[in-house]
Amino acid sequence: MMTWFETFMNGFTLTQAWVFEHCVNPLLPPLGLLAYQEEAFDATEFALVGMGEIALLILFFRPLEALFPAERWSGRRGVRVDILYTLLHRLGFIPLVMFVLMWPLTFKLDAWLRFHGFIPYTLEDLIPALENHPLPTFFAYLVIIDFFSYWLHRFQHRLEWWWALHGVHHSQQTMSYWSDDRTHLLDDVFTATFFSLLSLVIGVEPGQFILLMMIPRVLQSLAHANIAWRFGPFERCLVSPHYHRYHHGVGTGSNSGQLSCNFAVLFPIWDILFGTANFSRETPPTGIADQQEGRNYGSGFWAQQRLGCQRLWSALTLGKA
Amino acid sequence: MTVLTLFSLAVLACRAEAEVVVVLNSGEGTITRIDRQTYQPMDHFYVGREPHHLMSLPDNSALIVANAVSNDLVFLNPKTGDILRRLTRISDPYQIGFSPDKHWFVANSLRLDRVDVYDAHDFHLVKRFELASMPSHMAFSPDSSTVFVTLQGSDQLAAIDLHALKVKWIIPIGKTPAGVILTPDGKHLLVGIMGLNEVAVVDYKTAQIIKHIPAGKGTHNFMPEGDGRHIFVGNRSGDTVSIIDTQTLTITKTFPVPGGPDDMEVSADGKELWITNRWIRQVSVVDLSTDKVVRTIPVGKSPHGIFFEHHAARQ
Repeated sequence: MMTWFETFMNGFTLTQAWVFEHCVNPLLPPLGLLAYQEEAFDATEFALVGMGEIALLILFFRPLEALFPAERWSGRRGVRVDILYTLLHRLGFIPLVMFVLMWPLTFKLDAWLRFHGFIPYTLEDLIPALENHPLPTFFAYLVIIDFFSYWLHRFQHRLEWWWALHGVHHSQQTMSYWSDDRTHLLDDVFTATFFSLLSLVIGVEPGQFILLMMIPRVLQSLAHANIAWRFGPFERCLVSPHYHRYHHGVGTGSNSGQLSCNFAVLFPIWDILFGTANFSRETPPTGIADQQEGRNYGSGFWAQQRLGCQRLWSALTLGKA
Repeated sequence: MTVLTLFSLAVLACRAEAEVVVVLNSGEGTITRIDRQTYQPMDHFYVGREPHHLMSLPDNSALIVANAVSNDLVFLNPKTGDILRRLTRISDPYQIGFSPDKHWFVANSLRLDRVDVYDAHDFHLVKRFELASMPSHMAFSPDSSTVFVTLQGSDQLAAIDLHALKVKWIIPIGKTPAGVILTPDGKHLLVGIMGLNEVAVVDYKTAQIIKHIPAGKGTHNFMPEGDGRHIFVGNRSGDTVSIIDTQTLTITKTFPVPGGPDDMEVSADGKELWITNRWIRQVSVVDLSTDKVVRTIPVGKSPHGIFFEHHAARQ
């Protein structure tokens, strides 16, 4: 007798195999990509998991936004562009582009290092107790990556040129569960570069926990959701929608320079340890202060990307985004 | 004790010690051990990141599992499932092989465009070759002087001289080559050309392709039937397996196997062909008297390498 989980996994496996064999695999020979058949099979899984993830977000977070809104909006028009960002990220288009762009870094540099006698480490090499224990290893990676994400996020605010790009993410004035992936493409490139370099030092997390890997992404969507939720006694353990909304608040966290707070992605412990936590009960409007003075960050995808590049140019040439 | 009693004890002893099949689930870093008599999975455990291929040590004292992303070789007792030792800091061992004279251990790094030649006695690296791109499968010449490596990304076949430790030749072989195997008479190499749906026959002494044998879609990997004449070839995109007669260099038969047939093993009695079904988390068992899949056994994600302790002859 199969458990519900086994039944679900069997169904998922057969779906993935069918989509791969009928929709993806036939495209590989004409595209000259047959050598990447196994990667294409994994990408099929990524896209299907992304679809399931988006379905879950709509199913659970949309009703919660209606029932417990942190802000009341006259309409959800401003949310639409974030849906596009989410689809591009979670169905694998932008990760695929980043994978190709990072190829020289993750593979060529790795190969070059090995040719010169250096084999990059994994976390299990550094902490032998983790050997043969993939689940604790996965969680160890989750915590370490969250630590580095915290510091990366601080630099996205601290460095003027990076803030010029990160402003795309913060310019959303109707922040919802779709807003997590609203990022400038160059911001994605820098983030991917950082984590590719990190992977040369500590390796990449075990990839077999595909459902577990959904959890941090779903939690990040929840953190952006327009839901008036604090996590009570767990507020200091896990980033809540309220905690992260304060980070996106005009005049509270949504700033360049040092006047920001609540940078943590999953675990607020980093903010607490490094003195950037703010557990205020206030619920500020989201966005960037100069938007209220009329500065345009763009409402469509390409406008946001173009204006982000302009701000980057200003930051690099004039020192101010 | 009567002869009959002794015989009964011997039978019981054989039954008590299950004949084990080891399957590597490359996508989840696990091993599934299966009882070949009952077709039931015995256990399932973590071994490392991306274990793709495995083979016995030359003295059969252990099974080597190559974990490509963990950068290590795990020495396993297939009977008990015990990990005997872990040899770390072995760079990206994807496909592995021992030369017939047991002097060399070769590891292909598909991801990083490297072929590493180790001393098989102590596994110290002797020479690292940079071969673009995607070194995939390998075969050795009968005299152990040469290892042949398919270069999946650059559509080539390379020959490395193991005495001089130099690349002897590299020839264009066809779009996306994968498996490579020596014919039982030792005269030719067969190369699975995934992108052309064919098997290329190579005279390795002259480095010439002498024949193209049309096969199924995504012609991928080989396994000898064990009769000194026939070789199975899996067609991974077409979900079929074909049989090549190496005397006539023709395909004699093709039968369906679902879900991306990949690595294969033939039972010592020649009655069964076991195949990992890469896309559907299963192993298929083909009854070779009917060439039909008679069983499917659930395993883990992206099953790749498979090993029988008692298998048919490898040529």
